[in-house]
Amino acid sequence: MIINTIILVFIGFAGGLIVGCGFVAFLTVLGIVPRLTQLTKTHQKIYQYEWSIVLGTIFGNWVSLQDTTFYLSPIFLIPIGLFCGVFVGMLAAALTEVVNVIPILTKRIGVDGHLIVALMAIVFGKVCGSLFHWIYFVDR
Amino acid sequence: MEDSIYIRMRNKVEVNQNSKITLSDIAQIIAPEKYLHQLKQLFIYQVTKEDKNTVVIDVMKIIDALTQKWSGLDIQLIGPSQTIVEVIYKKRKVSFPFFILIWLLLFIGSALAIMNFHEDVSMQEVHQKIYKMITGESVSKPLILQIPYSIGLGLGMIIFFNHIFKKRFNEEPSPLEVEIFNYQQDLDQYVIVNENKEAIRHLDDH
Repeated sequence: MIINTIILVFIGFAGGLIVGCGFVAFLTVLGIVPRLTQLTKTHQKIYQYEWSIVLGTIFGNWVSLQDTTFYLSPIFLIPIGLFCGVFVGMLAAALTEVVNVIPILTKRIGVDGHLIVALMAIVFGKVCGSLFHWIYFVDR
Repeated sequence: MEDSIYIRMRNKVEVNQNSKITLSDIAQIIAPEKYLHQLKQLFIYQVTKEDKNTVVIDVMKIIDALTQKWSGLDIQLIGPSQTIVEVIYKKRKVSFPFFILIWLLLFIGSALAIMNFHEDVSMQEVHQKIYKMITGESVSKPLILQIPYSIGLGLGMIIFFNHIFKKRFNEEPSPLEVEIFNYQQDLDQYVIVNENKEAIRHLDDH
């Protein structure tokens, strides 16, 4: 019985370790944190940002496994949704950049001068696609 | 004492078709006053139809031309050792319908991609869970969470690319501009080696 518990604890710990490593590696490759510090010029605060990610991950992990409920007003969901969206948006933008699509696209089709317009197409596409999905598509 | 001439090749120049390239077109020159005017007008290369889009002019060609005209010059080369000459034909304009087509392609493509992503990671379920976690009630469509989420999605991309339409947050180049610069740099590197007939020697075994 004890041995079972020890094995389970070990498996859980090992799994968590690897998933945690993978998550941080993923964030590092995409370079979202450096990008944010570059925009806000807060390079000296990077240590605190690391802690923010670690604590956020642990918090999210805890509440999703425990079914915690806070019984708050739905108003709180507006900033939460906004923050979630900004983060996912930055992930999506970073992914597009990593796979190097846009430089090649602009060169091939000769829209050098209209780069911003092309970018806006992608941004509006994401927003409209997302709204369409939530408001209409999920009911089908 | 010999007179020194300092030459620095430009990285990249654009010329019109059939133009004559002189030394001052493709290089910066510092030289004693008595040579300077003649040097600047020195004919280097005639652009022809066969050149197509790019010509690479190596500094050896320039040294050759200089030593033929004046012997015993001291030529000092600074910086890159070749110039990429880009021949500009009639400016290709992107036609408007074609542009709209590309725009729609990107628009619909990214809309589809984000929907697939949401389905893939069960985003709807996660949103329902978050709604339940905060308020204690279950709803099937937590739109109060999802509409700000959708707006934030666009905002996050704009922040990452450092553009709000034409206005930028600060002077630093965005990752995309750096990416495009790197890509152009790679292309130039390729052109320098492959368009320059003197740069590669193949075995002639045919």
